[in-house]
Amino acid sequence: MVTARSLTKKFGPITALEEVSFEVAPGEFVFLTGPSGSGKTTLFRLILRDISPDSGSLSVNNQDVSAILGRNLPKYRRAIGMVFQDYRLLPDRNVRENIALPLEVRKIKPTDIQAAVKIAMKMVDLESRAHLFPSQLSGGELQRVSIARAIVGKPKLILADEPTGNLDPKTAKNIVKLLRDIHSELKTTVIMATHNADIVNQNGVRVISLEQGKIIKDSPQGKYA
Amino acid sequence: MLKYLRIAWQRIRRAPYQTAAALSVMTLTLFLGSVFFLLAAGSDMVLRYFESRPQINAYFKTDYLPDQTAVDQLTRKLESTQKTAAVRFISKEDALKIYQEANKSDPLLLEAVTAGMLPASFEVSAKDPRDLKVLAEILKQEPNIEEVSYAEDIISTLTVWINSIRIIGASLILAHVFITFIVIILIIGMKVSVRREEIHTIRLLGAGGSYISVPFIFEGMLYGIGGAVISWVVIYTLLLYSTPFLVRFLSGIPVLPVPILFMAALLGGELLLGVLVGGLGGWLACRRFLKA
Repeated sequence: MVTARSLTKKFGPITALEEVSFEVAPGEFVFLTGPSGSGKTTLFRLILRDISPDSGSLSVNNQDVSAILGRNLPKYRRAIGMVFQDYRLLPDRNVRENIALPLEVRKIKPTDIQAAVKIAMKMVDLESRAHLFPSQLSGGELQRVSIARAIVGKPKLILADEPTGNLDPKTAKNIVKLLRDIHSELKTTVIMATHNADIVNQNGVRVISLEQGKIIKDSPQGKYA
Repeated sequence: MLKYLRIAWQRIRRAPYQTAAALSVMTLTLFLGSVFFLLAAGSDMVLRYFESRPQINAYFKTDYLPDQTAVDQLTRKLESTQKTAAVRFISKEDALKIYQEANKSDPLLLEAVTAGMLPASFEVSAKDPRDLKVLAEILKQEPNIEEVSYAEDIISTLTVWINSIRIIGASLILAHVFITFIVIILIIGMKVSVRREEIHTIRLLGAGGSYISVPFIFEGMLYGIGGAVISWVVIYTLLLYSTPFLVRFLSGIPVLPVPILFMAALLGGELLLGVLVGGLGGWLACRRFLKA
């Protein structure tokens, strides 16, 4: 699903990623761990083609990400569901409208959007909050909206960039459980970045550990490094 | 489409001061454009009115009664120049009829005048106003013609005025269109900039350029539509209000009232210009950001 070969990205004098190579198989659930500034977000930005690597190659679903033409980028990104640490919900749209956004940009029929949004809201247990705006929701609810938005388009890959970073331990645990449930139910590949050791240690899945832009450990049923 | 329109309308409502600024400048531009257009169209009609009137009046001596041979001879002489649009002989009886028609409301004036008191005359129109002088000279050489008057000055002065109105109007409109364009780009550009993060997120979710730019283009177009409607209503109200005065001022010249179809066409023109300027401004405002 995701293959990185000697991926390097520098921001001026700072090396965000250096010679990073890994492979994530379809349907896999992977934790990407490491302290702040270790390169987790940079890696996600590279996968989304928000930025381009300085060297190395990256392919997603057998597609060379660097070779994607600008006009084909929207289509490429629609196959990826992104969950942001800071939720990035649109403040002037309610829960339903925020979740519908990835389908709206694909010009899908309103009736189909409505049905898909209903299913996604049910999965994250937000049906009763459909008409509320982001400012009226708690942190956990905001993150669930963000997850629902990421899954509504049935993406092949979900990138969750520290989705529990701003949440209390109990809510964080629920969010991870939700992502695990979605993973097993929809068979979606999930790469979740976190620096929460408890969460990583409780789940017993593959862990790729980054530090100062380099992979220091990649273990199939790992613990937080 | 409706969804994009709704988003654009929502953004307009949520920024009342920016909306007021964009609408004001758009309205002012379209108002000025309409005023100059109406002035140009009106003065063109006035010019056409004067051109359609007899441009040379040549009056015979009052005690002279030209016979048909003399009339035909002079008519041929004038027509042989191939510069005349129309040549008409007005006999003393015709002159009396014209006088009676013009003064029918004043019986005292009618009683006092007889055909014998009025001179016979020739009314001549030229194909080109520049030839009036030549034709007037021919008439002046006739021994029985006492007075020749022609409207060369009026037409040439009017032509100069109309040309000036067109040039000044076009320059002012162009300058205002440019200012409006810049203001729209600034206002929508500010909104794009404020929503930079939001737009970035939407793009990461797979939105194409049109999903992001169309609401901003619609927003510019809505400013154009609003400005066009407001300026048209103001113009039409002012025109209706001042029609009685203008009719008196332009006595006899059939310029007013302005036909409703003409006003509808003016509204159409304003809408087209407003939508073009606003839409293009909106597109340019977000184009730079989307390219980045």
